[in-house]
Amino acid sequence: MAPEPNEDDGRWQEAGDHATSETIPTDAIIRGTDVVKEYETGGQIVRALKGVDFGIAPADFVAVVGPSGSGKSTLLNLLGLLDVATSGDVRLRGRDVSTFTDRERTRKRKETIGFVFQSFYLIPTLTALENVEMPRMLDRTPTKTRQRARQLLERVGLGDRLDHYPDELSGGQKQRVAIARSLINDPDIVLADEPTGNLDRDTGDRILELFDELRRDENVAVVTVTHDDYVAEAADRVVTLIDGRIRETESRRANFEEGPDP
Amino acid sequence: MNPLRWLVGRFPTLALARRNLSRATLRSALAITAVVIGVVAIGAIGTGGEAFKQDQLEAYEGFGGTATVEPDVQFEDGNLTNTELSDGDIDRIRQAAGSATVLPVHEPAGSFVQTQSGTLLFRARVKGLENPGEFYEARNGTMPDNWRRTIVIGARIADQNDLEPGDRLRVNVTDEFDRSFEIAAVLKPQGFSAPLGADRTVFVPASEFESGGYEQAIVRVDTTTGSVDAATQAIEREFNAREQLVRVEQVQEQREQFTEFFGTVNQFLIGVGAISLLVAAVTIANTMLMAAIERESEIGVLRAYGYPKRAVVSLLVAESTILGVVGAAIGAPLALGIGMAINQLLLGDPFAFTAAGLRYVGIGVGFGVVTALVAGLYPAWKAANKRPVEALD
Ligand SMILES: Nc1ncnc2c1ncn2[C@@H]1O[C@H](COP(=O)(O)OP(=O)(O)O)[C@@H](O)[C@H]1O
Ligand SMILES: [Mg+2]
Repeated sequence: MAPEPNEDDGRWQEAGDHATSETIPTDAIIRGTDVVKEYETGGQIVRALKGVDFGIAPADFVAVVGPSGSGKSTLLNLLGLLDVATSGDVRLRGRDVSTFTDRERTRKRKETIGFVFQSFYLIPTLTALENVEMPRMLDRTPTKTRQRARQLLERVGLGDRLDHYPDELSGGQKQRVAIARSLINDPDIVLADEPTGNLDRDTGDRILELFDELRRDENVAVVTVTHDDYVAEAADRVVTLIDGRIRETESRRANFEEGPDP
Repeated sequence: MNPLRWLVGRFPTLALARRNLSRATLRSALAITAVVIGVVAIGAIGTGGEAFKQDQLEAYEGFGGTATVEPDVQFEDGNLTNTELSDGDIDRIRQAAGSATVLPVHEPAGSFVQTQSGTLLFRARVKGLENPGEFYEARNGTMPDNWRRTIVIGARIADQNDLEPGDRLRVNVTDEFDRSFEIAAVLKPQGFSAPLGADRTVFVPASEFESGGYEQAIVRVDTTTGSVDAATQAIEREFNAREQLVRVEQVQEQREQFTEFFGTVNQFLIGVGAISLLVAAVTIANTMLMAAIERESEIGVLRAYGYPKRAVVSLLVAESTILGVVGAAIGAPLALGIGMAINQLLLGDPFAFTAAGLRYVGIGVGFGVVTALVAGLYPAWKAANKRPVEALD
């Protein structure tokens, strides 16, 4: 079922490819064309992404898989506006992100993107509820924020753990708090870099189910990186990265059933 | 909403900062201690110094119309010459100074004083006067009228050696006399800068001295009728027309010199205090750098979630400033307490703060807070400019 890799199907989905250009959703949130990312370390240049195309539509559920070092985190950092591409075109709702200042990128992140990390990164001095509120703590809307945070924690099944501190929660519970946090700004995309990497299989499965439910209920696209195959089962699309190139894109969603193959 | 929640909602940065500090309690406490030391150093040195100055200036109060005349001692061919004022010199001073009171003083080079039990009063000086009642008032006992066989002593000597009128002291002056005297009176405290250093002096009647020479003369003008400037000039004209024979100095000038000298010393001491605040700044900068490194990934999360650099800087600077504010809040009452103790000691009233003295406490507090704030800037700037990707790994 995996097609022979070539220049064309080495690209992930719709963008920048004449054969699939009709399938590009007009409402794509973020899209990249021929994106290259290089790192310079000690005079040596490492090419982490060697020209990839991607696009994320609303309520997409995309799994990114591939061996360690293949560029998955790099790709997510670009999607999350945490880093800028070395070359290629990355557009957020049609605007070229390379023209953004650091301040603009920061604001766009706040408006558009939620993050979930492998190591949770909860703030130990804040309760579960406060951790969820954290991204909005500087907004002067404490009552509204609190309401929403409570609602989200209830949604992820932690309605009875609001005032617990992170060290009083299990790994799975911490990740649920982090997922609730990622949704507090009502983002369009949640980016999760190996969210189940520190969890046992059952807990990880439940986290992914949660992602699947949330992207429907909250109308949010989810892009999750993982090296566990079972994670990919739940996704609409699976993107396989190998050595900085997209080797395989498997689409399960009806409107992408055509796939990128010519 | 309860008030605490309201505050947190209102000033989230401060609330976050406070909690972050409570994470490394010991480290925060050490940084605060450094600020406390700095604030106390500046505040206590400042108020203490002011109290000391006040004490001294009070001591000068009574000497507004006073000048001292001393022979301008020369050192020639291995010998000291012009070491004394003669009776004739004293007469000339009296004539020149007009209505002024002139008090010739014997200040013998070799002398000692002993109590009846034989204890030596090391720090006591012996001076011979004709009529101390012209110049001093008694704190205890009465100033003798026709002074021949008794002595009067300074307040400090009396206090340090538990002496009172009626006690006896043995006074030995080389080449002059060695005998025991009854104390007639203890003088009112005069302050250490009073002419003759009266507080540490044992005054004996001038008639005890055989020699005719005096080491010093005190000239006092009643400032309501005469001018000490005029008297000073007249004495200068009388003696120093051709060559410098005597040195005439007004106590007022000495007071100014003292104030100036004291200002320099105090500035130096406060400089030392300021250095301790510099040390506090280093401590705080170090504390904040460590905090920034420890919390790198956490700060990365804040940045990823859309906290602008400015917010991260505010958060960390708020933390360091809280250290300064807490340090100052502890340091200020401590400095005031020490100031009160010094006031009590020197001025006899714990609340005798001067505006200048209190200003030093204010300066200490201000510097403490500002130092902490400034010390937090660099670590905060550094943390905020770390790219979130690098911070998250
Ligand atoms: N900050 C960086 N500096 C230098 N090289 C990096 C940096 N981040 C990633 N790389 C390199 O880029 C490649 C892709 O890394 P990454 O995206 O983290 O892979 P993955 O997440 O798939 O394991 C690897 O070769 C890695 O060593
Ligand atoms: Mg990775």
